Amino acid sequence: MKISVDRDRCEGYGVCAEVAPDLLHLDDDGELVVDVEDLTPEQTETAASAARVCPVAALSLRDAG
Amino acid sequence: MTIASAPPHSDVDLFSDEVLLDPYPVYARLREMGAAVRLDALDRVWALTRYDHIRAADGDWQTFSSDASVGLNEVINARLVGSILGSDPPWHDKLRAVLMAQLSPRSIRRITDYVEEAADRLVDSLVERGRFDAVPDLATVLPLTVVFDLIGLPESGRGNMIRWADAMFTIFGPLNDRTRAGVQIIPEMYEWLGTLQAEDLRPGSMGRSIFDVAGEQGFDHHQCVKLLATYVTAGMDTTINAISNAVALFAEHPDQWDAVRADPGLIPSAFNEVLRYESPVLAFARRVTRDVVIDGVEVPGGDQVVLLFGSGNRDERHYPDPDRFDVRRNPVDHLSFGYGIHTCAGQALARIEGHAILRALSERIRRFHTGEPKRHLNNVVRGLESLPVEIET
Ligand code: HEM
Ligand code: SF4
Repeated sequence: MKISVDRDRCEGYGVCAEVAPDLLHLDDDGELVVDVEDLTPEQTETAASAARVCPVAALSLRDAG
Repeated sequence: MTIASAPPHSDVDLFSDEVLLDPYPVYARLREMGAAVRLDALDRVWALTRYDHIRAADGDWQTFSSDASVGLNEVINARLVGSILGSDPPWHDKLRAVLMAQLSPRSIRRITDYVEEAADRLVDSLVERGRFDAVPDLATVLPLTVVFDLIGLPESGRGNMIRWADAMFTIFGPLNDRTRAGVQIIPEMYEWLGTLQAEDLRPGSMGRSIFDVAGEQGFDHHQCVKLLATYVTAGMDTTINAISNAVALFAEHPDQWDAVRADPGLIPSAFNEVLRYESPVLAFARRVTRDVVIDGVEVPGGDQVVLLFGSGNRDERHYPDPDRFDVRRNPVDHLSFGYGIHTCAGQALARIEGHAILRALSERIRRFHTGEPKRHLNNVVRGLESLPVEIET
């Protein structure tokens, strides 16, 4: 699985990065960066939590490939 | 899915003094009755009581519309037509883009140092006094200063702004005495705001920027004033109440204050927990655009639902032991800023202010000893009128 960011929606709150600091971070300009391309099953679970907490529902998971 | 023959309903008046003074036991009873409970006291209005359903409704604007529907009376809903809070996409998104250009975490970061310094100065002066009222002397000062400075408003409105912002929120309730009194006050604010021209707002300020982009966005003067009103009022009562609630909670839970003092890294989590535990905005409404089934109950199209953020935040189905105040819980998914397209546009600023105050207090104050708090009653915002404090440093 991969994390997909809807850039039009993302307002840069970084709540997702708080929940999944190993997978996501905000760069110096406050842009969200996805740090891991292909997620292990365990990471997928963390990524799903990150997607759930995003206040504007900008994150989703999609199949890799 | 089976449809219950008689939907759960209740004759409780959620906007009565009695319930506003202590809403949580009533919310708990409503949550037990169902996720959607019809309110007999109002016309075609349901309470959404549980976390999952409130969040789902907030995340589905096509079904749960804000268009002339966020308040529980016709006066406010007519007033809200075309406002950011009271409209759906695409108009909503256009207004939101204008505000977010100023309020997004990316844009607002640059004021962090300014807010931190203002918080330090404020708390220093209170520490010197030793005893003060946490509402007018502490909680009100920072948001009022920050909002006036950022928006670039002339000082002439400052003395009235708290009263105006309070009225702006209370009129979201049903047409009770509080709403009627608020409706009398609102024109004063619009009269003042209406006199403001672009030149009256500090160059480079958020308020000025509204007028700067008005041309390209096709906003007339009236729409600029409306956006200005949103800016000013949305960030006032809410943040003030969050700060006074924080002081009250930490006075009541000294062990939790010790934990924050021992580990300042807990401040963001603690602020989230303050917001979850005492949601500054108790409720906003939506109107369902078609018949929907909520937890087995059919809510007919055209009815309104009240999203009880304050109840969802205490939903035992979502938060274990929800009535315990625990600064380590870090409930990042609380409902106090709403969710979805209308999620609080000012939450980055609210966090900067909340974190700055908690940091400044925790660095200087060991204990809060509070006298009898006096609650301020407002139809949708929960906060205090007065909270006498004596501090130990
Ligand atoms: C602790 C402080 C605050 C709380 C608890 C709070 C709460 C809320 C809530 C519950 C909503 C509606 C969300 C929904 O319906 O899903 C909202 C919307 C909004 N808030 Fe805040 N707010 C706070 C501070 C601020 C500040 C400081 C500002 C700006 C100066 C602000 C500006 C707004 C605006 C513009 C909206 C409308 C957004 C839209 O409809 O798209 N708020 N807020
Ligand atoms: S929580 Fe949502 S809005 Fe915030 S940075 Fe993550 S994806 Fe963007």
